[in-house]
Amino acid sequence: MIKILAACGAGVNSSHQIKDALEREMGDRGYDVKCDAVMVKDITEDMISKYDIFTPIAKTDLGFTPSIPVIDAGPILYRIAAMAKPVYDKVEETIKKEGLK
Amino acid sequence: MQTEKEEPLFVEDTVYLSSKTTAEEVIKEISDKLLSEGLVKPAFYENVIGREKDYPTGIDLSVVDESLPNIAIPHTEGEFVNVRRVIPVHLEHPVTFKNMIDPSSSMEVKFLFMILNNDPEGQSNILAQIMNFCTTTSPNDLGTFFKSTDTSAIYKFLKRSFEEQNM
Repeated sequence: MIKILAACGAGVNSSHQIKDALEREMGDRGYDVKCDAVMVKDITEDMISKYDIFTPIAKTDLGFTPSIPVIDAGPILYRIAAMAKPVYDKVEETIKKEGLK
Repeated sequence: MQTEKEEPLFVEDTVYLSSKTTAEEVIKEISDKLLSEGLVKPAFYENVIGREKDYPTGIDLSVVDESLPNIAIPHTEGEFVNVRRVIPVHLEHPVTFKNMIDPSSSMEVKFLFMILNNDPEGQSNILAQIMNFCTTTSPNDLGTFFKSTDTSAIYKFLKRSFEEQNM
């Protein structure tokens, strides 16, 4: 299973939308993806090391350099296919490049 | 998918107009009203403002249609609210917010959807519904809606549009 960490300021709206969208789209593309939605302030180096990809809304300063690939997922929030597709493609590209399963 | 158990997302009495000119002033004005209605906790305002600085919520709608004004969706964690509801606020003057997906840039906003969400799990995503509304309603209708200063008309349009989404 591929584990993705989505994050936003409050952990209630944006990150949950990213989570729902990534699980649905990556599932449709044939990948077994589980995404968790959290608040940025709760993320630690230890927590992030348990995931394969980090998808914040925008460029995010965590106070440390994430050890996993980071993909800004904000455009997904618009729910416009043309804006979301490059994000999905980048996630898929990362899954392939990193050999994630 | 909405269920019968869900509270309505919009309530006519909590649709507001604001003549304030800064994000802090608008959010304070509306937070005070929501607090007096018992819809949020006393720490709501400070937490929304704090979050807005670190994780802004302005959404550039020019990418949807160039004629549309921008919106913002100020919100905070569920522990500071008592209900699940969206608070629409028509802004009489443009108010500057930073861009949610590019916090280094600012934009002028003319309408707020303040999200009170005490139940992010297991129910239809409120932000997704707001974005569906903004991207699937005709730009002409949206333009008229965003200009309206009639809180009853704002409420009715939102209620009808969101119900249609969930049919």
